[in-house]
Amino acid sequence: MKIMIDETQIECKEGELLIDVMLNNNISIPHFCYHQDLGADGNCRMCMVEIKGEKRPQVACDTLVKENLEVFTKSKNINNVKRSILELELLSHPVDCPICDQAGECKLQDYYMDYGLYESHLTTPKTHKGKHIDLGSHVMLDQERCVLCTRCIRFTSNITKTHELGIIGRGDNAKVGIAPNKPLSNPYAMNVVELCPVGALTSKDFRFKQRVWFLDSAKSICHGCSRGCNIFIDYNETKYTTEKIHRFRSRRNNEINQSFLCDYGRLSYKELNEKYEGKISDVQDLKKLLKVEKKVALVSPSLSLEQLKSVQNFTQKHKIALFSLPYLDENFGDDWLKTNERSANFKGVQELFINTLQKEFEEAFKNAELIINFDHQLLKNKPLVQFTSTQNVNQENLVFAIANFAHESGTLINCDEIRQRFEASKYKSQVPRLVELLEQLS
Amino acid sequence: METKIVSKNFDIPNAHTIEVALKNTRYESIHNLIFLKPQTVIDMIKASGLRGKGGGGAPSGAKWQLASDYIGEKYLVVNGDESEPGTFKDRQIIAKDPHLLIEGIIVTCFAIGAKNAYVYVRGEYEEFSNILQLAIDEAYAKNFLGNGAIIPIDITIHRGAGAYICGEKSALLESLEGNRGHPRLKPKKPEPEFYFGNPTLVNNVETIASVPFIVLHGAEAYRAYGTKDSAGTLLFAISGHVNSAGVYEVPFGTSMIEYIEKLGGGIKNGKKLKAVIPGGASTPILPAHLVKEAKLDYESLKALGSSLGTGGMIVMDEDTSMVKALKNLLRFYHHESCGQCTPCREGTSWVDKTMDKFINKSATHEDLQILKGSSKSMNGQTICVFAPAVSGVIDGFLKHFEDEFLECIV
Repeated sequence: MKIMIDETQIECKEGELLIDVMLNNNISIPHFCYHQDLGADGNCRMCMVEIKGEKRPQVACDTLVKENLEVFTKSKNINNVKRSILELELLSHPVDCPICDQAGECKLQDYYMDYGLYESHLTTPKTHKGKHIDLGSHVMLDQERCVLCTRCIRFTSNITKTHELGIIGRGDNAKVGIAPNKPLSNPYAMNVVELCPVGALTSKDFRFKQRVWFLDSAKSICHGCSRGCNIFIDYNETKYTTEKIHRFRSRRNNEINQSFLCDYGRLSYKELNEKYEGKISDVQDLKKLLKVEKKVALVSPSLSLEQLKSVQNFTQKHKIALFSLPYLDENFGDDWLKTNERSANFKGVQELFINTLQKEFEEAFKNAELIINFDHQLLKNKPLVQFTSTQNVNQENLVFAIANFAHESGTLINCDEIRQRFEASKYKSQVPRLVELLEQLS
Repeated sequence: METKIVSKNFDIPNAHTIEVALKNTRYESIHNLIFLKPQTVIDMIKASGLRGKGGGGAPSGAKWQLASDYIGEKYLVVNGDESEPGTFKDRQIIAKDPHLLIEGIIVTCFAIGAKNAYVYVRGEYEEFSNILQLAIDEAYAKNFLGNGAIIPIDITIHRGAGAYICGEKSALLESLEGNRGHPRLKPKKPEPEFYFGNPTLVNNVETIASVPFIVLHGAEAYRAYGTKDSAGTLLFAISGHVNSAGVYEVPFGTSMIEYIEKLGGGIKNGKKLKAVIPGGASTPILPAHLVKEAKLDYESLKALGSSLGTGGMIVMDEDTSMVKALKNLLRFYHHESCGQCTPCREGTSWVDKTMDKFINKSATHEDLQILKGSSKSMNGQTICVFAPAVSGVIDGFLKHFEDEFLECIV
């Protein structure tokens, strides 16, 4: 069916919320409390629109679309309504943007520029509330910046069902908080930071580290487990010389992770900032070694399909027995996003029929004259040290640094066999990509 | 002038005990039910023109029909969270004639098909809640309630925790479910309330207490009182600068000034009347010249720019400072806003703080604009009617007494 929004015809389905239709069609609609994965609550009153036939402005988050609905979002009257509500939201706000980590991605700032632009009328004292409250493992709270949209509370009560957060107090004295000695420490706690539309909830890990306007984003996929949660990798813009990844943010995907990530995955960006700083071997040395008879290769099940394919081609060409083993961890998974299989692409390994039998790998490993490890954790953290009493010993191990997934684009197959692409950041890696290296070898 | 329908037994000593109550027609309407179908009772209520007596004034019969028609296990919730300043009628019913309420509950449950009723009693009403509990225990003992009764229903008292907003029916249900008392989003089409997802009827104590009379004497007998659109009587309460504050039941349509002078005993110390807040703090104030025109019914007060509300009149004499009176009210609303919607949460605080400047006589013209502007922001943009009511209160004071506010401007 069709509805009219600001005299433009929009296609939509019966029973959809007006705010969803607007968000899906990129029609600007200011809102704090509504979130596509948390649903409507109707408390912020920011998403007011005019509807033909209705006496009063209506909230778009509590309006179901119906045939021939006529919606107006830009009239002078509705802009005044939004301005007055925004003014009330900001009334006791400390306006400490210069020291607030949300600055640059703050809804209060955005909407002030869109609908506010007034001089403050406040002639009475602001209401003061708690500052820098440690909520638990990864999250800090500033109650004065809070707009009480209750997204964080609805997340802990409806999604994780852990109920750590609640509202304490009434009226303008209402504030988000935790019960004494009941910290916010569930494995998904940091989602509340991202859900918070303002600077009230900040990540202990990210705060005071980088201004968000210096960050560029790459559409990627978390490699922490086989769920394949969609993420943005936020890294320093390329014009700044230091290449550094500052955080992972969730990227909405309704089929997989909605707008959420686990804290483990969210913090796993740190590994991407670690660089191999040891000696890098010569490709020619490897070429020489490839002449031996019994060769075994172990490939990480977290590599992309493209990388796996290229490894497979390489090993077939040089008659190397190729194996991959899963990263199973019985203690990691849960009934939501986290899975026990902690590699990103084990389904991809299976799709390419790479041998995953532990026993056969061990057998081959025992007899091997040359072992090549393509980034598999099993062999990575076990340095091969040889204590030898004769001269008859191979030279030291060869090590080749390859680019991590932040520099790669490729395809992964997640635990539910959903095939998804991820993109590389704009930074050029200082070390070669695996595929390039293998091309050099052949 | 007083017309005792609901308050019939108020003056009878010990009417709260079941022995005295039974001698004074209590539980008689239940015998009528044996010959009636539930739908007939609902039709009687519709025909009687009974309107909700908690302040909203919505037609009760239509509400009953909605709850009755909805499929599912039904509940009756009686709203006794009487917290509106100036209103103290429900507690009279509970204290003086609790068996009338129980009788009304039984009839209502029969009509809508509910087996369980909850009475949500204001937290501060511990004394009255105890009286009601004793009456309920007596009713169980006499088999008016419980499994042995003709109409087997159970009544449970739930005491609030002291929040004004829990008198709003959806916030009351949230509170009853064990949640924070936040009003719910209003449905777009007519439907009953829901208690844990079950269709529920929420009615005020006085509304339920009016039901036995209608069932016993018929809809026409009830309609004989009051006006065409405001049928029956209401327990009007009067307080403030009058000689005999109290609760007096009169038919709708009674002259307000007559009520104040005859039943309220006139203004204290022979002073002149300045203004009346007609129906609990949340209705816009009426200055003396409008009070003289006012009739105690929904239409008349609406026409005068106010509303009947709960019928709890607050009378102010000529010495009353309207600035201080408004400050008093706004402090209340600031304290009681539940804090869910932005306009109310921040607006009630802002106007209350701004009033301090008027009290200190340090206000500016801009502060007057803040009062007016916030009042506008609070009107019609929130989930419940709390903020619009505050807006109406401010507008009422400024409309009729702006000169007193201008005097506080430096």
